[in-house]
Amino acid sequence: MLIVIPELDEEQVENTLGRIRTIIERTGGKVGDVNHWGRRKLAYEIDHRADGFYVVMDFTAGERTLVELKRILRVSDDVLRHMVVKLPPSYAHRPLPEPAEAAG
Amino acid sequence: MGRRRGGPPRGARPAKSKPCVFCKENISYVDYKDYNMLRRFTSDRGKVRARRVTGLCPQHQREAATAIKRAREMALLPYVVGR
Repeated sequence: MLIVIPELDEEQVENTLGRIRTIIERTGGKVGDVNHWGRRKLAYEIDHRADGFYVVMDFTAGERTLVELKRILRVSDDVLRHMVVKLPPSYAHRPLPEPAEAAG
Repeated sequence: MGRRRGGPPRGARPAKSKPCVFCKENISYVDYKDYNMLRRFTSDRGKVRARRVTGLCPQHQREAATAIKRAREMALLPYVVGR
């Protein structure tokens, strides 16, 4: 999951995601579902921003994927915050109740 | 003196055995993305509720706490409410 800064428009968000996708694929991973939550209010301010663009990405990782991905995510200015979580094998795609359509 | 009638001793709560909500629904992974569900396990100040309040089993209480912390990191849940 990552939070992209709200100043970008749709296209720029897509570009950012495209960059991430390339990194994952270049290092032997595979991108599965990409879920745009859209613009959402943050629970607290990050860098004086009250909202952000949430994206949840499912992917498998190759050997070098995580090292590379985390490095890129850390230095990219477009990404406000990110988190990589290992999912349990039993994880089923359960649609979240009320899929986050909060105001921006 | 001797006014008190029978019943449970003073201060003791009646024994209740409510099963943990996650066990009941057979959920093995507490998802940090489901912040509205996690909100049930935080106080109105945003703190993690104690197990005696949430009624969760040890495993799920631990997982719920981790999930809440993850959700906080991603600004889905607040660290502090009302400051």
